[in-house]
Amino acid sequence: MPIAILMFLLLLPAQSWAGWLWGQAEDDALKVQVAEPYVSWRTGPATGYPVFHTSEKGEWLTILQRKTSWIKVTDTRGREGWIAVADIAQTVDATGNRMDLQVPDFEAFESRRVEAGLMMGEFDGAAVTAGYGGFWMTRNLSAELWASQILGSASEIRMVNANLVHQPFPDWRVSPFFTLGVGHIWVDPKATLAQPEERDNSIGHAGLGIRAYITDRYFIRAEVKDYKVFTTRSTNEEATEWKIGLSIFF
Amino acid sequence: MENRTKHLFLKTLCLGAGLCIATATQAQDDRPLIEPDVTPVPVTEALIDTENFEIGAFVGVLNIEDFESSLLYGGKLTYHLSESFFFEAGVGFAEGGETSFEKLAGNVEVLTDSERDYSYYNINLGYNVLPGEAFLTENYAFNTNFYLIAGAGATDFAGDTRFTLNAGAGYQVLLTDSVAVQIGVRQHYYRIDVLGAEKTSMNTEVSTGLSVFF
Repeated sequence: MPIAILMFLLLLPAQSWAGWLWGQAEDDALKVQVAEPYVSWRTGPATGYPVFHTSEKGEWLTILQRKTSWIKVTDTRGREGWIAVADIAQTVDATGNRMDLQVPDFEAFESRRVEAGLMMGEFDGAAVTAGYGGFWMTRNLSAELWASQILGSASEIRMVNANLVHQPFPDWRVSPFFTLGVGHIWVDPKATLAQPEERDNSIGHAGLGIRAYITDRYFIRAEVKDYKVFTTRSTNEEATEWKIGLSIFF
Repeated sequence: MENRTKHLFLKTLCLGAGLCIATATQAQDDRPLIEPDVTPVPVTEALIDTENFEIGAFVGVLNIEDFESSLLYGGKLTYHLSESFFFEAGVGFAEGGETSFEKLAGNVEVLTDSERDYSYYNINLGYNVLPGEAFLTENYAFNTNFYLIAGAGATDFAGDTRFTLNAGAGYQVLLTDSVAVQIGVRQHYYRIDVLGAEKTSMNTEVSTGLSVFF
């Protein structure tokens, strides 16, 4: 079964090389004209690769593909190389307009609609790994969904949460936020324990944290949350969690 | 008088002809020699094929501490954040063998068959520390990456799921811009108490894989 899933996943990107297999139509070529005095070509998509060629003003280039912030181009003589996105953004297309290439910056971060990330930390002394997705309703308020796995020495805990996040200062590069939410927790004790007893409970939480914009589409997020586990026993349980992770926004 | 009439006629004729030629060339200048039959399409970001994702499968050997070495296979999904950094999520499957104790004592089983199934998942951050080129012939080179990678996840083995840290390094060769092969070494660490006292289990993975960018 795992092999079948792997095979399926491997075939997912088939559409990206199907064009190569059947022969890509020539007419959808993306042609741009160099408008700056010159642009440099590198042999690979990173600053470490050497410059091996330059195109001067007026030359037409065909865009083949993009990897991170590099664009692979070919010229009329069939040469192939990589040009920085910032350089391609200075070219003009056949309509004479400048290429509309957006490089995400802090301004885009301020007006983000969707964010998602992975975080790791500690939940009551046990290691926690969590993933989340959030949607911004206003510049100050967002709704989030979380899934966490907590692996302790005595039990494995799975947790889902839904919460509201408020950030009072959306224009700050390093911006604090407050959060409030509810969820559910499933506790699965270790097999080696004497009396393993599975249980699940509703939970509520409150927390505060901070987001720090780095570059491009990425920011660091760190937070502390205090959980209340509503048990059927006479007392409720409490747990404190801290996490730090990397998030991406759109 | 005759001279004057001639002059008048010639003058208008010349002027008219000149005007005609002028307007004719003007009209010709307005129209290109060959009319293009396609309208230029603006190039936008959405039209560019962006290949920041990479999906792959790998096979190798996993040395499971106390439980022999096993064939390992798995898959991974990578997202390239920048030319240097990438996120990688991976899963792997193996099977634990017998401990030395089980072999010597004969009729003893520390784990049941289903408990010997070993699987892991992890989420990692990688860094392309040495991008480079490998030269096959005088005119042909493959782009390569030597990367460091580390992350955390969980290992399901011996009846329980355990928090697992991993770190390693690998070498990737891009056969084309879309297809890459890599060889890597990874060390997985987790705490286990199956054989009495709790200890840190160190599991070394050596694997080779094929991946596709999309």
